[in-house]
Amino acid sequence: MAENEKKILLEVDHLTKYFNTPKGLLHAVDGVSFQIEQGKTLGIVGESGCGKSTTGRSILKLIEPTSGKIIFDGEDITKYSKTRMRRLRTEMTMIFQDPFSSLDPRQSVMELISEPIREHRLLRGNDAIQKRTLELMDTVGLAQRFVNSYPHELDGGRRQRIGIARALAVNPKLIVCDEPVSALDVSIQAQILNLLKQLQKDHGLTYIFITHDLSVVKYFSDDIAVMYLGQMVEKANSDELFRQPMHPYTQALLSAIPLPIVGKNKPERKLIRGEITSPVNLPDQCRFLKRCDACTKDCETGKNPELREVAPGHFVACHCV
Amino acid sequence: MSENILEVRDLVVHFETDDGVVKAINGLNFSIGREKTLGLVGETGAGKTTTALSILNLVPNPPGKIKSGSILLDGRDVLQMSDKELEQMRGNDVAMIFQDPMTALNPVMTVGDQIAESIQLHQFVSPKDAFEKAKEMLQMVGIAESRAYDYPHQFSGGMRQRVVIAIALACEPKLLLSDEPTTALDVTIQAQVLELMKELIRKRHMSMLLITHDLGVVAESCDDVAVMYAGKIVEIGSADEVFNQTRHPYTEGLFNSLPNLRERGEELIPIKGLMPDPMNLPEGCSFAPRCPYATEACEKQPPELRHMGGTHYVACDAYNDPDFCLRRNSHG
Repeated sequence: MAENEKKILLEVDHLTKYFNTPKGLLHAVDGVSFQIEQGKTLGIVGESGCGKSTTGRSILKLIEPTSGKIIFDGEDITKYSKTRMRRLRTEMTMIFQDPFSSLDPRQSVMELISEPIREHRLLRGNDAIQKRTLELMDTVGLAQRFVNSYPHELDGGRRQRIGIARALAVNPKLIVCDEPVSALDVSIQAQILNLLKQLQKDHGLTYIFITHDLSVVKYFSDDIAVMYLGQMVEKANSDELFRQPMHPYTQALLSAIPLPIVGKNKPERKLIRGEITSPVNLPDQCRFLKRCDACTKDCETGKNPELREVAPGHFVACHCV
Repeated sequence: MSENILEVRDLVVHFETDDGVVKAINGLNFSIGREKTLGLVGETGAGKTTTALSILNLVPNPPGKIKSGSILLDGRDVLQMSDKELEQMRGNDVAMIFQDPMTALNPVMTVGDQIAESIQLHQFVSPKDAFEKAKEMLQMVGIAESRAYDYPHQFSGGMRQRVVIAIALACEPKLLLSDEPTTALDVTIQAQVLELMKELIRKRHMSMLLITHDLGVVAESCDDVAVMYAGKIVEIGSADEVFNQTRHPYTEGLFNSLPNLRERGEELIPIKGLMPDPMNLPEGCSFAPRCPYATEACEKQPPELRHMGGTHYVACDAYNDPDFCLRRNSHG
């Protein structure tokens, strides 16, 4: 193993999460598999309800998966109890979307950032904890004069910096970022994205980057997985996926992004009809069928397509490719 | 008939709170031509929504106060209208679409009734005719007639926004104010809704003020663009002028902050710092503290909009130097 530089930090195998609802079984995540190497970023993209957040939360076992396997750093953590997971909470953590609701409004910045350090008993003595908190504020670019401020006194960008500092406080290996910049203005978004990228370089962090914004994910990820109705429909290296999207849904998703270009360089748009169908009691059929323009007879009679490797490292779940 | 459907002149709106005066809008000037769509771009707190509310004379008072200026809608000043005239104007001449369709709709009323209600409020029609018209409107926005009897929670986000559009267009206004109409929607649905809005506006010969923070949405659907910063227009012109011959450092900053889909750059170039506190605006140009080109003179006197050719105006005193050029434009 020594000469093998690529170390798989996380492996997810046929992860499923079903929810029982009065109307039937809701397939939130339905057989998702992937691997991430240490120090890399996997972007998970999809629209509301595609199961991207449920996937992220299941990996951290904030939600108990229905079936499948999660192997983190060589340990199969799928069956770990809450108490056994506690130790791992310092190795895998999360940054949330909304810095307005994910921070306790009654805690000061000092309390917020030092909380994970105290909680996991990473340091002893108030002086050491305070010193580390100020260090963390420095790392995430939060001026020390805010140390006694409360979240409501700060703007969205600074609040998100607190969220990042809290995640970093435990020295994690893996951070699941669930739409970390969606609530922020573009100029602030760029600041936070640059920060996350710098931290990855400095600390060798591994990210799962969950977002609906394809332009952000392209900027950020090594690999990208596109999800639709609980399943991965395409997975490839970031540049490859953008250069040659193969799944009709990925193509539609890419073409739907409004580009800030006016004039002759503007590419033609391709709209898809309809909306995402209900994830309850799904038939064994391609899930994109009803919205797909490329679909053939095979798609209508065939089963739900599996992910296949169609080019080296490029996986697609579509009968027509 | 005046040339422009809307002309905003020297508008100043302040919010007088216990903590001080929030200077939301500080001398705003722009106009919208007939059958044109103007995109109003800016970040949180730039005063975009306050602008829209002022046009409807709906700025909450107190604490809001329209200090001065005029808003000419089809030649008549909205700020001088009586309550009765305002009631006539809202809905009939100008309608507004809000960002979040869930909070804009009444959860305990069927969507058909909600559309019919707005028709009945503004036109003399029987309830039955109003409901028939409501069904037509639903079809127009791509929803089956039969769903007129459903409640908002039975619709998806995109469908709800279509219902809101149907309500706004029911009385055939001349001007539509859309405040971030697609921000809460997924990209594929956003594309559908934008397409629908564009088509309806063209067919009905309407004008639109489209408020958004997304330069992509502007490029997609606007004829003209106004960039707003700290309650003022810093750059205004046709979409082609603003996108392809950007003049203001702030507009350039916005473009640089966007992750580029075509090329994968190593680092984004954010605008340093934050929007100024509207209670405590800088004396000179409000963008000067964040501007990479700012000189001492910029901090002393606020710049006026200057003509840059065509319909292009920019508020930046760096152009006092005839050789000044943004980095974005300097290399082709």
